[in-house]
Amino acid sequence: MKLKNIVKTALITGALALSSSALADNFPSKPLSMVIGWGAGGSTDIQGRVLANVMSEHLGQPVNVINRPGAGGAVALQQLANSRDEGYTFVFGTSMSVTFGPLATPTNFDVDSFTYVAGVTLGQSAIVTGAGKPYSNWDEFLEFAKANPGTSYASQLPFDRMIVDYISKKEGLDLRIVPTSGGAGMAPLILSGDVDFAYSGGTHSGYATTGEMPVLASLADDRLVAFPDAPTLRELGYEIDPGEIRVVMVPKNTPESQVARLAEVLKLATQDPRFIEITEERILMPVVYMDGAEVHETLNNQVESFKTILEDIGGLAE
Amino acid sequence: MPEFSLLYSAFSTAVSWESITVILGGVLLGYVVGVIPGLNRAVAIAIAIPLTFYMSPYAAISFLIGLSKGTAAGSAVSAILLNTPGESSSAATCLDGYPMARDGRPRTALKIGLLASVIGDLLATLLLIAVAIPFASVALKFGPYELAAILVFALIFIAGMAGGSFLKGMAAGGLGIILGTVGMDPETGAMRLTFGFIELMDGVPILPLVIGTLALSEMFVQLDEYRRNKGQKAINLSRNKEDNLKWSEFKTTLPTIFKGTAIGAFVGALPGLGPSVGSFMSYGAAKRAAKNPDTFGKGDPRGIAASESADNAVIPASYIPLFGLGIPGSVSAALLVGAFMIHGITVGPLMLREQPEMLFSLFSGMIVASLLMLAIGWYGLRIFAKITSIPSHMVIPIVIFLCLAGIQVQGFGTFGLLVVFGFSILGFFLKKFDYSFVTFLVAFIVTPMLELNLRQSIILSGGDIAILIDRPIAGFFVLLTLVLLVRFAWMGIQQRKKSLPNAD
Amino acid sequence: MLRINFWSGLVVIIFSITLLTWVIPTFGGGGFSFGLPPQLVATIGTWIMLLSATSLVVLSAVTIVRHKEPFIVGLNLSEIWHQVWPFLYVLFFIVLAIFLPLTWIAPFLIAGLLFILDERRWHIYLICSLTPTAGLYILTVYLMRIGVV
Repeated sequence: MKLKNIVKTALITGALALSSSALADNFPSKPLSMVIGWGAGGSTDIQGRVLANVMSEHLGQPVNVINRPGAGGAVALQQLANSRDEGYTFVFGTSMSVTFGPLATPTNFDVDSFTYVAGVTLGQSAIVTGAGKPYSNWDEFLEFAKANPGTSYASQLPFDRMIVDYISKKEGLDLRIVPTSGGAGMAPLILSGDVDFAYSGGTHSGYATTGEMPVLASLADDRLVAFPDAPTLRELGYEIDPGEIRVVMVPKNTPESQVARLAEVLKLATQDPRFIEITEERILMPVVYMDGAEVHETLNNQVESFKTILEDIGGLAE
Repeated sequence: MPEFSLLYSAFSTAVSWESITVILGGVLLGYVVGVIPGLNRAVAIAIAIPLTFYMSPYAAISFLIGLSKGTAAGSAVSAILLNTPGESSSAATCLDGYPMARDGRPRTALKIGLLASVIGDLLATLLLIAVAIPFASVALKFGPYELAAILVFALIFIAGMAGGSFLKGMAAGGLGIILGTVGMDPETGAMRLTFGFIELMDGVPILPLVIGTLALSEMFVQLDEYRRNKGQKAINLSRNKEDNLKWSEFKTTLPTIFKGTAIGAFVGALPGLGPSVGSFMSYGAAKRAAKNPDTFGKGDPRGIAASESADNAVIPASYIPLFGLGIPGSVSAALLVGAFMIHGITVGPLMLREQPEMLFSLFSGMIVASLLMLAIGWYGLRIFAKITSIPSHMVIPIVIFLCLAGIQVQGFGTFGLLVVFGFSILGFFLKKFDYSFVTFLVAFIVTPMLELNLRQSIILSGGDIAILIDRPIAGFFVLLTLVLLVRFAWMGIQQRKKSLPNAD
Repeated sequence: MLRINFWSGLVVIIFSITLLTWVIPTFGGGGFSFGLPPQLVATIGTWIMLLSATSLVVLSAVTIVRHKEPFIVGLNLSEIWHQVWPFLYVLFFIVLAIFLPLTWIAPFLIAGLLFILDERRWHIYLICSLTPTAGLYILTVYLMRIGVV
């Protein structure tokens, strides 16, 4: 038992790979590891730890949570892609790391390197603006931006920069794009009015009741839960489905029976009140259950549309 | 103005059992670390950060603040009993503490040190609460222009004040700046100095860097020193009835304590000066003000009071720029920034708006920590006196282990261990050759903030410097920075002029 | 201290020149930017290092020459060995930690160093090596639930 533990930990460190297919039938027969590609305390981590608790109750084995932060989730995925751990090690993360990540940075994986067990939460990112601006919806905003060259936009990630580049090219806008770090960097710029509009991953959900951070457009595939009035990009006539999904993934070669067992447990988890509470009340995102095939198809389409956009705008700013 | 109910609930969080236990743990651990010579505050915070992972953000931060305060008070014990300051900032305490203890009054000396520590700490905490909130609400109006200007000012100020050789401090700061730029460029998305390591994409990870430069390297320095001086004897607490602090004697030190607190708080609020400067300044001021300065250095209780009150007042005061602007002014504040980041909180003026309850709970927690410090120090006197005799050859291996464990716990893996090792070599040389690691660390932490804000300013203004006329606060700080630069240059020339004739 | 300033300053100068001529241009990243070019801040940092190290070297060299002190004193090999072995010791355990969890090797790391530092009482070995290891085990397995690290 001790020796097995040693071997298992070595696997997690990514130093060794080992096959143990004999264990397929009574899966899981030993503790599992949920790897999270973000630091402790972030929203993915907070949610992941609750999910791990719920899963371990249903699986009858402890689910340990391991943080492997770095490179927008890519550090964790890079290790998972090389893992042969037969479903005992899986990543809980955001779909952006597998769809846009490989396009933006050199990685050893792409969207087809993983089997998607299930999607459990939908992202709620948006294009937001501040209170007291002369526009309150997308059309008024476009009019304003066309009349005022140098309208400023706060970007957080290469991903949202790509979308805004695409939009500004299509609409013929002249924007000043300001880099900023995370929601905490964006919020002061929007609240003080120094910046005209911005990308927001989820910060705006906290301002839904005060109205200090109105949403111009939803960056999810559907309208946002907290801002049902803001249209999606497709409704506005842009050919992008940027909707982010929080998914559980395993390496591609994982036996199907294991994946099915994990999916079963995830389905139960999405009905668990604890998971629903932490997701919908604390991090303010809707809980869903999307099966693996559907997730994979959605993500494949996203990658295709991202590639088209990148060609259209002439690649990422390098 | 915050509502009363908010204050009430914040305070009740701070006095809940869970919170008191956590703060007690922090203060206790800090006290022990402070007492053990050679283990300093930075080491303690660096290796304790991983301990806080499973705590709630509030508990984690109050634990670390308690720890930080505890070290300041605990370091007086070894200064008095061993003549070796547990923390360099208590070096001034040795001057009068050790002679007093040798005269057969160690208990009195310890109690004066403790009371001065607690009073200094408590008053400075109250000052922090009084100043930080209005300060933060003003700072909320600060945009990238103001922040960029203030950050430049702070960087120059720290470089000039951080003690040691100015040139060597600048060189260390330069290295900090270079390391601060590692990672993905926020504007172009280009990889900077990552050498193909995807782990470096978000920059050099702060925790391995800090643990390596501060904690692990310190153990290597200690190993070297251990070889040179083995076998120091601590003074034991006697059962002498005479040896106790009387009110009449304590009363005479009170004015010194208040003055020391004021000096400490002032020094703390300025970024970069640090507690050592505060305690020596306060000691000097007390000696100058005394009618009979000859008694100083021979066991004058006012010497202890002056040094300890200032030493402890610096810590809470150094959180004023931290909570008000998000700028770390000292090593321990810089470490707290890291701890806040780990728990998903950005320190700065926005805290007042987004997490007011957390902020007020922290403030209440700080007051609780001061009071606990008094209780622990008062009743644990004898035990802590014993701890001074724990030999360092037992401490060093355990701390080395804790450094490595901290990295593994955080999930940095082998890469993290190698980063820690690499930075321990760097830290060793910084310490051995007297290059300021304060400037190094603060430059490393401030550079990404500064670069981002500067970029935002340039892009938003379209590169037009005339924006400074529209933003008077930013303009003011730019001017102030220029004045500071001229002043430093002038001071440097004066010093050279003065030192040259002596050198000949 | 003067000699230290001189030699360490010299090392810093060499290091910053390498940075300026090779490392930053090659690995510093590029691309068009309106705000600050990606390499700018790192380059400024290097120049700060270079300039202050140069002044340091010049100033200390002048003083050394004036005081007619030697630039080189014989290095004491045993002194150097005493400062180097702790690094090698820790590096050895870091390499071990690649293959084994730290929790298993920790007792040996602590006990080994205690032995080198002339500790001979067996109960000290037990207390010093087992308590922190047990603490790490409890923290990681039960409190943080990340498994044995």
